[in-house]
Amino acid sequence: MTSALEFIQFVLAPQMITGLSLGVAVVLVALGLTIIFGLLDVINMAHGEFYAIGAYLALALGAAGINFWLLIVIVPLIMIPLGYVVERGLIQRVFNKPDRHVTTLLLTFGLSLVLEETLKVIFGPNTQRPPTPIPGAIDAFGIIMPNYRLFLILLGFSIIIAVALIVNRTALGAMVRAAAFDRNMAASLGVPASRIYAGTFAFGVALAGLAGVLLAPVFSVFPTMGHDFIFMAFTVVIVGGMGSIGGTVIAGLVLTQVQVLSSLVVSPVWSDPIVFSIMVLVLVLRPQGLFGRMGHA
Amino acid sequence: MRSASSKDASAFLAFDRSGLAMRASHVLVVILVVAAFGFAAVGAALNDTFYLRLATEALIFGGFALSVDILLGYTGLLSLGHALYFGFGAYVSALVLKETPSFWAAMGAVLAATLVFGFITGLIANRVRGVYFALVTFGIAQVAAKAVYNTRALGASDGLIGIPIVPINLGFMTVMSNAPVAFFLFTLVFVILLYVAAAYLLDTSFGRILGALRVNEHRVPFLGYSTHRARLSIYVFAAIIAALSGALYPMLRGFVSPELMFFTTSGNAVITVVIGGVGTLAGALYGSVILTVLKSVIGTMTEHHLIVIGILFMAVVIFLPKGLMGVIRPRIARRLRGGAR
Amino acid sequence: MTPALQVEGLGVAFGGIRAVDGVSFMAQRQAITTVIGPNGAGKSTLFNLISGQIPPHTGRVALDGVDRTGAPPHLMQRAGLGRSFQITNLFFELTVFENLQLAAQRLEPPRQMLRRIGHGEASLQRVGELVERFSLAAKLGELAGALSHGEQRRLEIAVALAAKPSVLLLDEPTQGMSHGDTADTARLIRDLSRDVTILLIEHDIGLVMDISDHIVVMHQGRMLAEGAPPEVRANPAVKAAYFGDASC
Repeated sequence: MTSALEFIQFVLAPQMITGLSLGVAVVLVALGLTIIFGLLDVINMAHGEFYAIGAYLALALGAAGINFWLLIVIVPLIMIPLGYVVERGLIQRVFNKPDRHVTTLLLTFGLSLVLEETLKVIFGPNTQRPPTPIPGAIDAFGIIMPNYRLFLILLGFSIIIAVALIVNRTALGAMVRAAAFDRNMAASLGVPASRIYAGTFAFGVALAGLAGVLLAPVFSVFPTMGHDFIFMAFTVVIVGGMGSIGGTVIAGLVLTQVQVLSSLVVSPVWSDPIVFSIMVLVLVLRPQGLFGRMGHA
Repeated sequence: MRSASSKDASAFLAFDRSGLAMRASHVLVVILVVAAFGFAAVGAALNDTFYLRLATEALIFGGFALSVDILLGYTGLLSLGHALYFGFGAYVSALVLKETPSFWAAMGAVLAATLVFGFITGLIANRVRGVYFALVTFGIAQVAAKAVYNTRALGASDGLIGIPIVPINLGFMTVMSNAPVAFFLFTLVFVILLYVAAAYLLDTSFGRILGALRVNEHRVPFLGYSTHRARLSIYVFAAIIAALSGALYPMLRGFVSPELMFFTTSGNAVITVVIGGVGTLAGALYGSVILTVLKSVIGTMTEHHLIVIGILFMAVVIFLPKGLMGVIRPRIARRLRGGAR
Repeated sequence: MTPALQVEGLGVAFGGIRAVDGVSFMAQRQAITTVIGPNGAGKSTLFNLISGQIPPHTGRVALDGVDRTGAPPHLMQRAGLGRSFQITNLFFELTVFENLQLAAQRLEPPRQMLRRIGHGEASLQRVGELVERFSLAAKLGELAGALSHGEQRRLEIAVALAAKPSVLLLDEPTQGMSHGDTADTARLIRDLSRDVTILLIEHDIGLVMDISDHIVVMHQGRMLAEGAPPEVRANPAVKAAYFGDASC
C-alpha cells in the first residue's frame, strides 16, 4: 500500500505534471498551426522554425539584458511583421495555384530548411539554455513541482483561452472566419481578405514565437528544436482535427499524457512510435480528426 | 470505314499530349545516359573513385526520386514518408547480403517483401486523400523509422554495418560492387531499367487513369474505374521502385542506417523531384544529379548548403512550378509533335 | 421486353430531409425519358442515386432487368450506364483527344490496360466516331479547359457516350448554351436516342416537350406525375406546381 502511494507520489504524479506542462507547450505551438490551417488552408511546415526563432530571440535579447517579462511581450511583437512579410511575400504568390495544400506545404518546407540553417549560421549548432525566470519549487502533498512549470501551465492555459475567445467570440475573429469561409463574400462585406490572411498568418507566427519564449527555459534552445517539436505539434493538430482549437487542446493534453505514461510503462524510446501510431489510426478511422474544423462547421 | 479509322488512329497520337511528353522525357534520359557514359570514361581514365561513387549514389537517389514523381507528378499524391520504402529495400537487401552475398537473392527478397509491405501500408495510406495522405504517409514512416531505430536486431541507431562486397553475376560478366566504374555503369543500367518500367506503365491505358486521377478524380469512377484500386496499385508499384533503388544502397556504401527512412530522406526526394520537374520522370534523375553537384560544390565553400538548396527550392516552387524539365521538355515535345505530323 | 432502366421506390434522406422520396419509373429503350421539376426538386440527386454516387436508403435500380442497387459508380458504368454532369466535369488539363480516349478505353479487352494506348484499336476507332459525330475534329489537340462553353458541353456528352453505354444520363446538357447551340444539341440527343436509352434532366420546357417520349415530373423529392408530353402538359397538378412557376 505504501509502495503504491510512493509510486504515485514520486513517480506517477511528477511524470503526469511534467506531461501537463509538455502538453501546454505542445498546444501553444500547435495553436498557431491549427489557426493557420483552419483559416488559411495552409500547412505551415515552417511553424517549428518560427517557434525556434522566438526562442533564439528570447535568448539573444535576454543576454542583452532585457527582462523575461518584457520578452513575453516584445518577441511576439517582433514575430508579427516577420509573419506578415512571409505571408505576403511568399505564401500569397502560390496561394491561388490549383493545389494550394501541396504548393504551400512545399513552399513552407523550403522555408523551414532555410530558417533552420540560418539559425545554425547565426547562433551555432550548440544547445543553450536561458536561466529560469522563476526559480525554486513548491512542495504540495509531498509532490515537488518546479515553480516555473506551474507558471507555464497557468499562463499557457490563459493564453489558450484568450486565443479561443479572440477567434470565436470577437468581431475580429468573426471577420477572419468569414474570410476563411468565402473570400468573395468577405470582400463584399468590406473585409479586406488579403490583409486578413496575412494578419492571421502573422498571429499564428507570433503565437509560435511566444511559445518559443516560454519554453526556452524548460526545453533549451538549439537549431533543430523546431523541427523536433513540430512533429508532435502536427500530430496533435491532426488528431484534434485540423483547425479546431478545442480539439487541439484536448488532443495535445491527452497525447502528451500518453507520451509520458508510455515512456514510464513501456520505455521512453517507444513513446514516439506509440503517439505516431495513434495519429495514423485517427487519420485512417476519422480523417477529419476527432473534432470538427472552425469556419467549416 | 474501318480502314479510314485506323489511318486516323495513328494521326490521333499527335494529339496525345501525355504520350508526346513521355517521348520527350525519353530524349532527355538518353542525353543523360550519354553524359553518364562520358563521365564514366573520364572517371576510368583518371582512375577516380570518389566522384564515381558519388555519382553512383546520385543515381540511386535518382531511382528513389522516380518513385516519388510517379506518385506526386503522375497521380497527384504527395507522400512525405516515401523514404520508408527506400529504407525498407536497403534494410532487406542488407539483411540478405549479410547472410549470403547474392545480388539476385537480395533483389528477389526486396521485391517480394515490398509487394507485401507496400500493399499493407498502402491500404492504410490510401484511406485518406490530399493533405491527409501527406500526413499519414509521414506518420507511418515515422513509426517504422523509430521502430527500426529501437530494434537491436536491426542494429538500432547504428544501423547494419559490414555488408560484404557483392559479386553481381549478369551471366555474361560479373560486376563487383566495389569496382567504381563497373558498379557505376551497372547502377546506371539498373536505374534506367526502373525508368523504362515506370515510363512504360505510365503510358499504358492504366497509366492514363492515374493522370486522370490527378486532374479530376471525381469523373474517373464514371469512366468505369475504381479510383481506390488504381491508387493502391500505383502506390505499391512506386514502393517497389523505391525499394529496388534502396536495395543498391548497402552494396555501394557497405552499411545502412535508420536515417534512410527518416523525414530528411523523404524530404530530399521531394526537393529533387520539384527542382528537376514534377511529372516528367526525367526530372527526378536530373534533379538528383543537380542536387548532388550543388551539395558537393557548395559543400566545399560552406557546410550550410541547405540555405542555398532551400532558397533554390522555394524559387522553383514559386517561379517554375513544373521545375527545370518543365521548361525544357515542352520544347522537345513540340519538335516531336512536328515530326509526328 | 424489359425496360433499359427501372427505378422503384428510390429514396434518400439527408439529415432528415427527404431529397428523393419513393420515385418509380421506367426508361424504355430507344426513347428519351426526361425528368423535369423546379430547382431543388431532387433531379440531380435522383441521377446521383441511379449512377451509384449516393447509395439509396430505399428502393432499387435495375439496368437491363438486372438489379444494381447500391453498386458504386464504376460498377454501374460497367453495367452499361453513362452519365454527364450539370457542371462540366472534364479533364481540363488534358487534350480533347485524351479526354475521349480515357472515356473510350473501357471498350478494350482487359490486357490493353497494360499496353500503350496506341495499340488500342477499338478505343481509337471509337474516338474517331465521336469526333465526327460531335464535330470536334478541329479541337482534338486543344486542352479541354481551353474550349468554349458550348464545345465543353458537347465534349461532356461525348465522354459520357464513349464507352457505348446502354443507358445515358444527361444532366442539363444545354445548360448555359446559346439558342442555336441548344437547338443543335436537341437534334443531337434525338439522334443519339436511336442507339441508346436516354434519361435527361432539362429546364428548357420547349425543348423537353419537343424531344421527350416520356416525362417524369418531380416536386420536392416526390414524383408528381408522369406520362407522354401532352398528358403531362394537361395535368392540373403539374400546371400548378411547375408550369405556374415557369410562366412567371
